[in-house]
Amino acid sequence: MTGTPCPAPIEFADVVDYWAGELTRVEEDRIEEHVFTCADCARELAAAEGLARGIAAVAREGRLDSVVTDAILNRLAADGARVRMYTLEEGRIVHCAVWADDDIVVTRIRADLAEVDAVSIVTRQASGDEISRLSDVTVRPGQREILNAFSAARLRKLPPTRVHVSVTAPMGSGERTIAEYTLEHAGAFER
Amino acid sequence: MHSSADSRPSTESDGEIARAIASAPPGTAQAEESELYRRFARRVQLYGLKHLRDGAAAEDLAQQVLLLTIERLRAGEVRNPDEIGSFILGTSRLLADSTQRKARRRENLTVQFHVPELYAEPDVASGDTEAVERCLHALVERDRRVLVLTFYAEKSSSEIAEELGVTGTVVRVARHRALGRLRDCVRLRQGFGGSTFAKAPVDKPGVKGAKTI
Repeated sequence: MTGTPCPAPIEFADVVDYWAGELTRVEEDRIEEHVFTCADCARELAAAEGLARGIAAVAREGRLDSVVTDAILNRLAADGARVRMYTLEEGRIVHCAVWADDDIVVTRIRADLAEVDAVSIVTRQASGDEISRLSDVTVRPGQREILNAFSAARLRKLPPTRVHVSVTAPMGSGERTIAEYTLEHAGAFER
Repeated sequence: MHSSADSRPSTESDGEIARAIASAPPGTAQAEESELYRRFARRVQLYGLKHLRDGAAAEDLAQQVLLLTIERLRAGEVRNPDEIGSFILGTSRLLADSTQRKARRRENLTVQFHVPELYAEPDVASGDTEAVERCLHALVERDRRVLVLTFYAEKSSSEIAEELGVTGTVVRVARHRALGRLRDCVRLRQGFGGSTFAKAPVDKPGVKGAKTI
């Protein structure tokens, strides 16, 4: 896209809000009228669209190693992704495995999250090697569980191992343990 | 104007390109027509994605709008070629609102036109998605969640705000900052300041074997 240089570029925040559908019709019209006369801003809009498309592709293909929500899991289910879920509760060993056709594996971590605003979740193999570390996971008031998603493709590379999950919250200059969990990972299986 | 075999971008203004098409005998300004298509097809596709929410329909819209624009320019029916962007936007709005007319018009046009050497951009390369994946995972957890909820789960800022226990304004600010960081990270990984995400599939207009007029 080449053409006339832009005399008054659109703010990136407006480009993002436009693409996210957060603007009024009048505001949308203003953005569109500008984009159709400005190659620079059209390029920015194309960049935002490409990133949005990339984010959707990463999620849809089960390549998210992250906290997810029921809304994301519902969308994955609608897209036909195969989601395997394990519920973790303290004091109970959970036996788990990953199968060849799984796209994403989710641990539903149940814990007493009262009086914490954010937690860290570290998932380790018995060897001590980290599988995942999520820091500063926001906790909203009344929340009782956290959904931690893993790419099934990545988990299929793990050997059979005991897995430890620890949930901690910041306390002063250090941190305190909220809960710990154990899983027995049996490995990856074909159907 | 560069020749159609020359891939260098033209430095002429949009209006100059449009006037060149309008003033040439119909079908002889092929390089200018290709350039006009190259400049605007992606914008119309973005408009289509935004309003039709369907990738195939957006590609159809881009093809149809540009074919119609070229037809009108050739026929001298664009009153002010210097405002060709506004003309293309108006045409996009009109055609996006009328899918029936769109289908009928496309049928007619594709048998009449074949614009050679038109611009067809490739889909996002796998490397780009990998860069997005890596950069997405480099964001702080809340920012990543906001982006995935917005652009995958298609949740509004107020719905996300409820889920995170914050205000909608906080979500909107977090979202544009997070997408800005993601953009910068992806560009850094790709080793340049431009955007490869300008690239998306846009079919070439015309059909194989169609006659040029």
